[in-house]
This record gives sequence, C-alpha cells and structure tokens, in this order.
Amino acid sequence: MPNILEVRQLVKHYGSFTAVNGVSFEIQAGEIFSLLGPNGAGKTTTISILSTLFPPTSGDAFVDGHSVITDALAVRRLIGIVPQEIALYEELTARENLNFWGTLYGLSGGALKSRVEEILTQIGLLDKASGRIKTYSGGMKRRVNIGVGLLHRPQLLFMDEPTVGIDPQSRRAILDMVLELNRQGMAVLYTTHYMEEAQELSHRVGIMDHGQMIAIGTVKELTRQVGETETLRFQVADAGAAAQFTALLQGTAGITRATSTGDEVSVMVPHAAEAIAPIVTQATEAGLKIRSLDVQEPNLEAVFLHLTGRALRD
Amino acid sequence: MQKLLSIALKDLKVAFRDRAGLILMLLAPMALIIGMGVISGRFSSSGSGAGISDIPIVIVNQDEGQLGQALVDVFYSPDLVDLIAPITTTVVETARQQVSDNTATAAVIIPAGFTASIIPETALTATSFQTPTVISIELQTNPTRATSAEVVRSIILEFLARVETNQVGGQVTFEQLLTQKLVRPADIPALARDFGTRMDAGANASASTTITIEHMTNNDAPPAPFDVLALLAPGMALLFLMYTVTRGGAQLLAERDAGTLGRMLISPASSAQILGGKVAGIFLTALAQVVILIVVSTLLFNLHWGDWRGLILLLPAVAAAATGWGFLIASFVKTPQQAGSIGAAVMLLFGILGGSFGTNVPITGFLDTLSKITPNAWGIQGFTALGNGGNVTQIMPNLLALCIIAMVTFGMASLLFRRGNLIKK
Amino acid sequence: MRKIIAIAWKDALINFASPSSLLFFFVLPVVFTFIIGGGFGGATASQDTRAKLLVVDQAGTASSQQLIDLLGQSTALSIEPMPWAEANATFDADDAPALLIIPAGFNSTAMISGTAQLQLKQQPNNLDAVLIERTLNTTASQITSAIAAAQTAVAEAERIRPFTSPAERQAYFDAALKHTTQLLAQAPSRLNVTKPSQIAPDFNPAAQASAGQLITWVFIPLLGISAMFAYERRNGTLRRVLTTPASRAQLLLGTIFGQFVTALVQMGLLIGFGAVVMRLNWGQSPLALIVLLSSFALAGVSLGTMLGTFVRSEGQANGLSILLGQVMALLGGCWYPLELFPAPVRTVVQVLPTTWAMQGLSNVLQLGAELPAVLPNIAVLLGFAAVFFVIGVARFRFE
Repeated sequence: MPNILEVRQLVKHYGSFTAVNGVSFEIQAGEIFSLLGPNGAGKTTTISILSTLFPPTSGDAFVDGHSVITDALAVRRLIGIVPQEIALYEELTARENLNFWGTLYGLSGGALKSRVEEILTQIGLLDKASGRIKTYSGGMKRRVNIGVGLLHRPQLLFMDEPTVGIDPQSRRAILDMVLELNRQGMAVLYTTHYMEEAQELSHRVGIMDHGQMIAIGTVKELTRQVGETETLRFQVADAGAAAQFTALLQGTAGITRATSTGDEVSVMVPHAAEAIAPIVTQATEAGLKIRSLDVQEPNLEAVFLHLTGRALRD
Repeated sequence: MQKLLSIALKDLKVAFRDRAGLILMLLAPMALIIGMGVISGRFSSSGSGAGISDIPIVIVNQDEGQLGQALVDVFYSPDLVDLIAPITTTVVETARQQVSDNTATAAVIIPAGFTASIIPETALTATSFQTPTVISIELQTNPTRATSAEVVRSIILEFLARVETNQVGGQVTFEQLLTQKLVRPADIPALARDFGTRMDAGANASASTTITIEHMTNNDAPPAPFDVLALLAPGMALLFLMYTVTRGGAQLLAERDAGTLGRMLISPASSAQILGGKVAGIFLTALAQVVILIVVSTLLFNLHWGDWRGLILLLPAVAAAATGWGFLIASFVKTPQQAGSIGAAVMLLFGILGGSFGTNVPITGFLDTLSKITPNAWGIQGFTALGNGGNVTQIMPNLLALCIIAMVTFGMASLLFRRGNLIKK
Repeated sequence: MRKIIAIAWKDALINFASPSSLLFFFVLPVVFTFIIGGGFGGATASQDTRAKLLVVDQAGTASSQQLIDLLGQSTALSIEPMPWAEANATFDADDAPALLIIPAGFNSTAMISGTAQLQLKQQPNNLDAVLIERTLNTTASQITSAIAAAQTAVAEAERIRPFTSPAERQAYFDAALKHTTQLLAQAPSRLNVTKPSQIAPDFNPAAQASAGQLITWVFIPLLGISAMFAYERRNGTLRRVLTTPASRAQLLLGTIFGQFVTALVQMGLLIGFGAVVMRLNWGQSPLALIVLLSSFALAGVSLGTMLGTFVRSEGQANGLSILLGQVMALLGGCWYPLELFPAPVRTVVQVLPTTWAMQGLSNVLQLGAELPAVLPNIAVLLGFAAVFFVIGVARFRFE
C-alpha cells in the first residue's frame, strides 16, 4: 500500500527545549497508526506540525506527496483534524458549527447541506442538531468535534487524544467510530496515552518519549521486544515498602526487571506462574506485606516500561 | 461568623488578584477622572476648571467711527486675553468661511455706519434727537460651539449695553436740560463736545454705584470654589462601584456553575453563612474600591471630601446599597454571562440617571424620580454636600435612603435566592 | 469571499446568541440618546433649555422689579418668582441651580450709597449656576449704569445751575432715571445673530448629543473585537481554523468584516431611531454621513484588532475595550463638546480617531457639510485604520 504520510527527521525546538527530536515514521493508506506516549512526550507537537499549524525547526513531512512546509494548503485539503480540546463554538448549534467548518473546507450549497446531515447521522446526533454545543454532554461534544474533522472526506484523519475526560460509554462509541471509518478506507493517525486504545485500534504503533520515537511496529512486533515476559504488579503498604521490595528483588535470578511507582512494584519475569511463589516468600521473609497482586501478559505498557524504565502512566 | 468572614475575605482576595477585573474596578474610573480633569482644564495653570479659553473669532470692522474700533479693542483687551483668540480680516466672506469650515467659533462683522447710527453727527446740531436708522453688528455663530458662541455674544451685548447706556445717558442729559430750559438748543453742540471730552477723561459717576452680590450657603462654611473634579470624581467612583457589585453577583453564579458553591454547602457551613459570606465579600470589595479611589484622587488631585465623620458613614452606606443591587441582579438572572451583561447595563443606566456623567445631562420629571432608586444619585448628592462644607446632619436623608435601598434589595434578593438556587443544576 | 462571509456570519451568530447582547447593541444606545437628547422631538428651539433661577423679591421696589424684568429678558436663564419658603424648599430639593433673594431695602438710593445687596445661593459645582451668576452680574451692571446715567444728568444740570433743594435734585434725578429707563427699554437690538447659510432651518440641537452617543456606543464593541480573538485563542477554534484551507488573511478579514458590518447595521438602526422617533435631522448629506461613519467603523475595528494583540484574555480585552472606548469618546468630544476643552488639550486630542469622527459628524449635522468638506476627516480616519491594521496584523498571534 502506498504511504499517505511520510515523516522525515522532524525536529522542533522551543528555545533550549526540544519538543520533537528527529521523529520519522510512515503511515500507509487505510492504516490506523497510533502514537503512544505519556503526557509531554511530544505527540501533540508532532501532530501540530503535521497539521501545518507551524513549521518544524528542521525535517519535513509529506501527505500524499505534499510537503507540510511548502505545500500546506494542499495538505490541509487532504487531512482532517480532531483536536484534543473541544474546538467548537459553544454558542452555536451542532448544525451551525458543521455548516461553518464545512464552508471553510470549501463545501457549499446543497453539497454542504447534505454532507452536514450525513455527518450528523454518522455521529448519532441528527435529532439533537439544533441544540447549542454548550448544552451537550462531554461525549456529545467529542462526537461533534470528530464530525467536523470528517466533513470534507479527508484521506488522513489526525485524532489527538479524542477520548480524554469522557465516560466509558462515549469512549466506546468513539473507538467504534474510528474502526468503522477505517473500514471505509480512512487512514488515521491516533495519539493517546491509553495503551488499551492503541492496542485495540492500531495496525501499527509508534511509541514516543521525550520527543523521540523509541519504537515502531505492530503490537505483536513491539511486545515481542519484551519477549514472553509477563509483568507481576504487587501493591504493598507504601512507597517506602515498595522501594525496599524493589531493592530486595534486584539481582534475583529469574527476574528481568523490577521497578516501583508509589506503592506499586512492577516485576517482569519470563513465567509469572513460576515466579510468584518465590517472590512472595522473599517479601514475607523481609517483613513486607503484599496487599494485592496482578499478572499482566506482555502489552505495550510493558514495552514502554522495558524501553524507558518508567510506567506509561507516570 | 468566622466562616462567614473567611468566605468574605477569600472573595476579597480573589477580586483584587484578578487583573482583568482591576482594569474596570480601579483603572477605568481613575482614567476617566483624569480625562475629565484634563478636558475641564483642571490641570492647567488656571486651575479650577471652570470654563472655556482661547475662543477663536474673526473680526471684520467696516465701521468708520470710534465705536467699531472700541469693540475690536475690547476683544483684544488684556482682560480677555485668555478667553478670546481674535484675528481680524477685511474680507467678510473670509470670516464667514472660517465659521462654516469650523475653524472659528464666530465671525463679528461690524458694518459701515455703525458708530454713526448710535452717535449721529446731525444729532449734535438738531434741536431734538432724531432716531437714526439702526445698523446692527452681525454675529455669525458656529452651531457646533454653542457655549463659546454664547460667551462671544454676551461680550458684545455687554459692550452694546455700555454703548447704549452712554448714548442714552447723553441723550437724557441734554433732553432734560432742554426740557427744563436750562440751556438753549443752539448751546447743545458746544456743550456736547465739552461733555464728551470730560466723559472720555473718565469723569464718571458710576464708580460709587454698585450692587453687591453676596453668596449664601446653608451652613456657616464659605461656598467652595468651583472644582469640576469634586463633582465628577464621586460620580465616576459610584459608576464603577456598580460594575464591581454586579461582577460580584456574576461570580457568585459562576461559583455555583463551577460546583464550588455546592461544595461549600456540603461542608458544615449553613447556607446563610455561605450566602452571607459571599455577599459580605462583595460588600468588602466594593468598600475597598471606593475607599481606594477616594484616597488616590485626594492624593493626586488634592480634592477635598469634607467632614471625615460624614465620609465614614457615607462610604459603607453607598457600598451597602450598591451591594444590595448586585445581589438582587444575581438572584433573578440565570447565568454569570447574563449577570455580567445586565449588570453592565444597570451600571450605565444608574450612572446616567444618578448623575455620574455630570450635570449637563437633563434628568428631570420621571427620570428624576427614577434616579432615586440608584445609589449613584444619593451618593453623589451626599459627597457633594460634604465637599461643600456639609456635615453628618446634612447628609442624614442620603444615609437613610441608602440604607433603605440596601435593606429592600437585600430582602428581595434573599427571597429569590433559595438553597436550591445555589446548587448547579 | 465565501469563507470570509462564513467567518463574519459565524461571529454575528456568536455575538447575538444571547438576548442580552441587544442591550449594548441597541437598547442602551437608544436609551442614552433619548435621555441626553432630551426625549421625543429632541431639544427643539421651542423647548426651554435655559437655566432656572428662583427669585424671592423681599424688596418690592421699582429697582427690584426692574431687575426682575431685565433678568426675564435674558435668553440664558428663565426666572421663577416665588415666596421664600417655597423657593428654599425647591432649591434644597436640587430642582434649581440657583436662588436669588432681593432683600428689603434694595432701591436706587442704596445703589448710590453702595449698600445695595443681592443674595445668591448656588448649587455647588454646577455649570448652570456659574452661568446664572455671570448673567446676574451683567444685569446688575446694566441697572447701575442707568442710575449712573441719571446721576450724570443731575451732575450736568448742577454745573449749569445748582439745585435749590434736595427735593428738586431728587425730582430731577427721578425724571432722568425714568427717562433713561424708558429709552433703554425701547433701545433697538443692535446685534443680529446669524448662522452659516447652509444650516437647515429645522436643525435640531439634540442631534449633536445623539452623534456623541452614536460614536461612543459603536466604538466600544468595535474595540471588543479584541475579546473575540482572545476567545477563539482560548477555545482552540483559532488553531482549528488554521488547519483548514482558509488562510490567515481570510480569517482576519472575515472577523474584521463581520464586526464592520455589525457596526454599520448598529449605526443605521440608531440613526433611523433618531430620525423617526426623536425626529432628529441627521444633516443634508447622506453620502457624507455614510462615508464618514464607514471610515470611523474601519478605524475602530482596526484599533480593536491591534488591541487584540496586546491582551491575553477575554476579561482583559473586555475591560480594556470599555476603558479605552469611554476615555477616547470622552476626550474626542463625544460627551462634552471640544469647545469646552483648554486650547492645548484641543490640539492633543487630535491624535484620537474619535475626535476626527466627532468633528466630522458635527460638521455634517450642524454645519451642513457635504462630502468634500469632510474628506480630511475621512482621510485621517482611513489613515488610522491603515496604521492600526498593519500593526495588528504584524503582531497577530495565532497561538
């Protein structure tokens, strides 16, 4: 499949701070590509550059062959944006918002009208289209936010953390919508710090941290990096006990890695079933009380932990 | 009480940390007071700001006699050097054009024969005075400068009154002499010339003829000199006081919408303590604002506010009355935005009705009655009375009226504001 | 063009989303114009706008009556003779700017002996009261001049032949004074006050007050465009627009165009209201009016755009719009005419667009100026617009 997006060595400096540091990746037509990383990793800055909001310090990116630096107008016609914030006019109705944004995308007359109705149906708000945005729930606002990005039938949709701060039901609806759009052939660049979303939606995932792309691949390819390693999560009394426990486990045979975050200790082991008993015994002998235990199969969180030494939710 | 005060002081702190709010609470009234001071000449060397200066006029003197020149001399006299900025031209159309072009306030056109129409040569040889044809000075005025045109007109009228009086005086003198047969008609010309010479030399009986105008006040203090800022400063302070209290009301609703008010309600504080604290916060902010404006304007403009005892009573009274209105507005609107818009509208309406924009706005009849519901009207009247030397007794009606406004508005607002209104729906 | 219109229309929908927006758009300007313009029909020539002077005549002499008659002839004030108690109560109720008491013993003898006195109470810091005092001084000097003339007649007679008795002198004086007073009363007016020939005969001075209000109430929301930019920045919609095919120029132009058209509509409504309801005459040159007001609207919206580059939040923008709008309207002569300002101040305020707009509007309304006469004002306003626009666009932050 041809690439709809090619990003080459993108760099963005803000004074002495580097927000994006040599990021490169491609997205194929019809692919969902997730950018996964914690807050501050550089995901939003990357998307802002690709959206032609501001140019990079160096590097370039091409959407269907058009440079985001020299051919920004052509790029804007090809991409749709669903920003992280609800960038809608709260005093206007959903229909009025869609009409306005549709005009900016070059739609007019009957074509605009019918497309607006299509979008309203697609996002499930046709019967509420005359309500002002400020009267909508968070989930409804997010749906209109997505609808605006779809008006002009973009080839590539940028979705920047579209499920932040909404209820599980609305989140589910949005994820289903993304999958359906993709089934219809749309390529999606999806940024998130929720590992589950990236795992569910993506054909490929790029993991970002501190402005750099630290891994790219399918979910399987990435989790293979941590091998069959499983992760045991222990919850102990407090952060002090967790640090003590972690120190205890360092260098213990059969343990790939042990880290602590607050009162939680994450231990990566090849086989969880075999490792549990000795670890618990070690804790008991040291006088540490374990409050709960959770076993996780290899996932992107583990990958992130493996690559950075930090939990994705830090 | 402690919880109430704690809420009030928190709100006071928040209000004074809001830079955007401070623009309209303090900066705007000061800027407008300064602006009004500038345009009234309060900061110029003449000081008091009582009026107009350098009125540009164009004079065309076509008169052959001494009266035309005498009028020109009046306009160029040292007494009027600050008031009038005259220029002369010989072309009437030029003068008229300058008025039409709005570069001059008036054109004074003294036609030929003016002097002769008042002091005709032939009258000196006649046995009785003939009434010569009246020849008038034309004053073409610029309608965009009505006040200064009126000043020019009054100068000319004063001149003409003196001329008329002198002319009539001369006429009466000689007519009486003839009537009483104290002189013969043939003697008149010589007598008139001698009389004229003596009058020109300053032999005038009017020096001792005076009417004294004594200025009276209601109290023992002498009348205060005219100071336009003493009139306008309280007006501006009260105008923006209404902004502060309506903004306070809007913030009360904003807290309701944000959920923090509801959060307070599930604390051990009662709704009376909470609402009381919020309202007390608005009151303290309003009081602080008006005190700051008074202190700053006193220091900057050397204003005199009068009896400090009266001030101590008047300031909280106006703050309370204004707070009551702010609270009432918040109680019947639905959203903070509505409170903001309606509050701003009320602020401006109260301002114009209550006299915050000065005395040249005609508030009479029904509008004057309506103004009595505003803290502005009672407050400005009270400040003016104190500044003019009044004491607490003189402002008792104002204090009473402000307290009644406060009580009525608080009462109505309390009824409208029930616990259910304090929780976000 | 379609995108520009879409942006302008979107802004109009947002601006008028709440009914309370009509308060500042139409209701308050109309109310203020109505109050300041003097109600229905405006302050016409037939309406008495003179300063009111309460008069208490405790003397009841020919001199006091002469004073009252002369004051009554004044075009600057209207007198209301009434008893002391009623006059005092009226004055204390602030219903008159001044109260004149003519005490017992006010007569020509007292004037000659220098003991004649009038008592004047004035409301503090009241411009009408100042005017009344000036008129009273003028009138008083008229009376003393008449007496002086009669005294001169007596003196001249005495030079020729001394009087045989005080009674004869008094009789001569009384006759001379009566004659003088008669002649003075019959004296013709020697002053003809005219106006420039292009003034309309039905000109209404209330239009001047309305013009000032129009400029004030239109100017403030034009500056408020700065709040619109701050809102869009906060809301994230400004960023979003920049990711669409609409250019930055289209965004700016659309926002500015929307505000400009809103201002024109507002001015049209206010002028229409004034003309139809208050029967104001807005001058004889509609073309001059339209071009002048359009230039003013452009200057205002450009200044607002520039202001928007200096503010961080909607709160700041709204506060500064009101502050700057009111101050510039005040200094521009919209509230008090420029003629009342000190001469140096009249020069300095020429740096303000409101001054040029108000002067141009005054020229059109009151001097019957046609378009060519106000071209300088239009040129200056467009110059302001260009300068503010260039600075605003150069400094504009889209983030």
